[in-house]
Amino acid sequence: MADTLTTSSDTGVFTRDQVEMLSARKGEPEWLRQHRLEAYDRFAAAPMPTMREETWRYTDLGSALSFDAYEFAAETKPVTAIRDLPAVLVDEIEHADDYSGRMVQVDGSVVLRELSDELREKGVVFTSLDVAVQEHPELVRQYLGTALRPEEGEVSADTKFGDLNTAFASGGTFVYIPKGVRVEAPLRVWRTITRPGVAVFPRTVIVAEEEAEVSVVDQMVSADAEGGAFCAASTEIIGEELARVNYIPVQRWGNGTIHLSTDRVIARRDARVTSLHVTLGGALSRVDAQCRMEGPGSHVDLLGLYLAEGKQHIDHETLQDHLSPHAASNLLFKGALMDEGHGVFRGMIRVAPGAQRTNAYQTNRNLLLSNSARADSLPNLEIGADDVRCSHAATVGQLDKEEMFYLMSRGIPKEEATRLVVFGFFGEVLEQLELEGVRKDMYGLVERKLLRNRR
Amino acid sequence: MADPLLKITNLHAEVAEDGTEILRGVDLEMEAGKIHAIMGPNGSGKSTLSKVISGHPVYEVTDGDILFRGESIIDMEPDERARAGVFLAFQYPVEVPGVSIANFMRTALSAKRGEEVDVFDFHDELVEKMEMLGMEPVFAERSVNDGFSGGEKKRNEILQLAMLEPVLAVMDETDSGLDIDALQVVSAGINKIREQNSDMAVLLITHYQRMLNYIEPDVVHVMVGGRIVRSGGPELAHELEAKGYDWVKNEAGAEAELARI
Repeated sequence: MADTLTTSSDTGVFTRDQVEMLSARKGEPEWLRQHRLEAYDRFAAAPMPTMREETWRYTDLGSALSFDAYEFAAETKPVTAIRDLPAVLVDEIEHADDYSGRMVQVDGSVVLRELSDELREKGVVFTSLDVAVQEHPELVRQYLGTALRPEEGEVSADTKFGDLNTAFASGGTFVYIPKGVRVEAPLRVWRTITRPGVAVFPRTVIVAEEEAEVSVVDQMVSADAEGGAFCAASTEIIGEELARVNYIPVQRWGNGTIHLSTDRVIARRDARVTSLHVTLGGALSRVDAQCRMEGPGSHVDLLGLYLAEGKQHIDHETLQDHLSPHAASNLLFKGALMDEGHGVFRGMIRVAPGAQRTNAYQTNRNLLLSNSARADSLPNLEIGADDVRCSHAATVGQLDKEEMFYLMSRGIPKEEATRLVVFGFFGEVLEQLELEGVRKDMYGLVERKLLRNRR
Repeated sequence: MADPLLKITNLHAEVAEDGTEILRGVDLEMEAGKIHAIMGPNGSGKSTLSKVISGHPVYEVTDGDILFRGESIIDMEPDERARAGVFLAFQYPVEVPGVSIANFMRTALSAKRGEEVDVFDFHDELVEKMEMLGMEPVFAERSVNDGFSGGEKKRNEILQLAMLEPVLAVMDETDSGLDIDALQVVSAGINKIREQNSDMAVLLITHYQRMLNYIEPDVVHVMVGGRIVRSGGPELAHELEAKGYDWVKNEAGAEAELARI
């Protein structure tokens, strides 16, 4: 493709030259450089989303995001001690005891990574994407871009930010679990952004081979700061036959940050993949999550939990793509919106003509905790097969007055009663998670945010 | 004579939203440790009285006062009244999905005591009370009233009563929807709680006389048209059972009739 597709005003500091420089600095193989440049050209050719488009009707990204406002993250040196990490992470990492491996990304670089010798000997790879390109080039080449596929010729506002991530991906996480290997405790990843005005592009690739099992918890944490940062993230998950994958991204960026994430799952025959998107932070967050049921017997659970305060805007765009018969997908996204928070959910179940005996469900529920909060929910079905069980449901409701009176009549103050109701509301999502420790962490994060909001 | 525990004078209350007056001058006095029953036909305002005592936001007090231990509670929030010692057993207990009975009760007890209740002490206490009421311990892990049978819901109310140890228990048609076996279990539970806490006063609101066979009242009141039209001893309940509510309605006279029309 030609360079002339781009003009600086469309892409700001995110220029084609920057892609070349990044790839050269990392000493990448030619195929990866090409992969980045192709993605870059699609990014540059794609229009910025506007609210005139159906998929962006309730999210005004154009007013919030200016590419000129950001700069690339500097490369950061590795650290050996947890206490040398940015303060916002230290306590949390020191107290997390339940893990098989841990990794920390500061701005654009992974600065710490650990994996037990036992798992390493079994062939497990858990490293930054940058290092994986050097140490396991064939694996990366095989899997990078398989779930987030370049859709040739079809650039749009919806493909723009996945491509942006591919073009500038830095740091990142590569997880490879060989056939039959079970990783019991989760792999834990923390990412942080150290100052406002920085743009980061974390790319996560998780591959679970036949009958492999793994859970990845991806915490994105930064301190509140004037100005905010920009994160264009992307995750690809490939679950091979009978694989079992749990993936829990937890977005807790400081206020002001814009977060755009393009996440793709492929589930092969009898694979089981569960993702839980937890969104608590940032000013504007949009997660575009799609799962493809590519093999019979595959089962994907897409779970989501979001809690907005202030003027936070949290948007989810989902697709459950049934390409194979006898597969199942179950989506449950629940959000509570305080203050002037705004939640948007737009979901689609698509069943291909040959995908008979599909079971697909989609539920989005919103709880408005203030009169100024708002939620828009648009569930959709597109069914090409005739022997399927599919349903969708969407609700937007307020706190139930009788429920609140009942709790208060037992002596529980209003704020605490609200907290109990919100916990109960999110419980339906969190109880589906098999990882007890992670579930407790999530209740804790929700509690912390509710308590902070009360002040 | 000591101050009454509960003193309601000339209480008028209406539905806040549309101004429909339901309580039209209720007068009632109760002493600590006593059992009062309020009986009355449907629509007489007896359930509303229980909710107004607990501070349900749907109702607005337009005149009169409720003194609890000598102090007016009508400007207090429902949770403040509860912490002061008022308990309402709901006629229709509310489902709270995702919140376990154990979590609910521990939060309530912590609020009442003003400090976090120790998890282990709490658990012992809960198990003890559940045993007393013939409840399986697994019950505590179930979401509050979520998918419970009518009998289970009412038993859960009694469990909360046992845990929170109020000074005044208002029982709003606790007998409704219960078969005779369940009614006996629930009544026995209330009696056991009274054995342990003899100062607790009970205001039993009921449409039927049958619950009073198991929990004997000291005083029986009859409510018609938003006020108490007659009070007496336990024999009044039997008289009502025999003669029906039309008898008191007629006796209540033209004023109450007019008020209802």
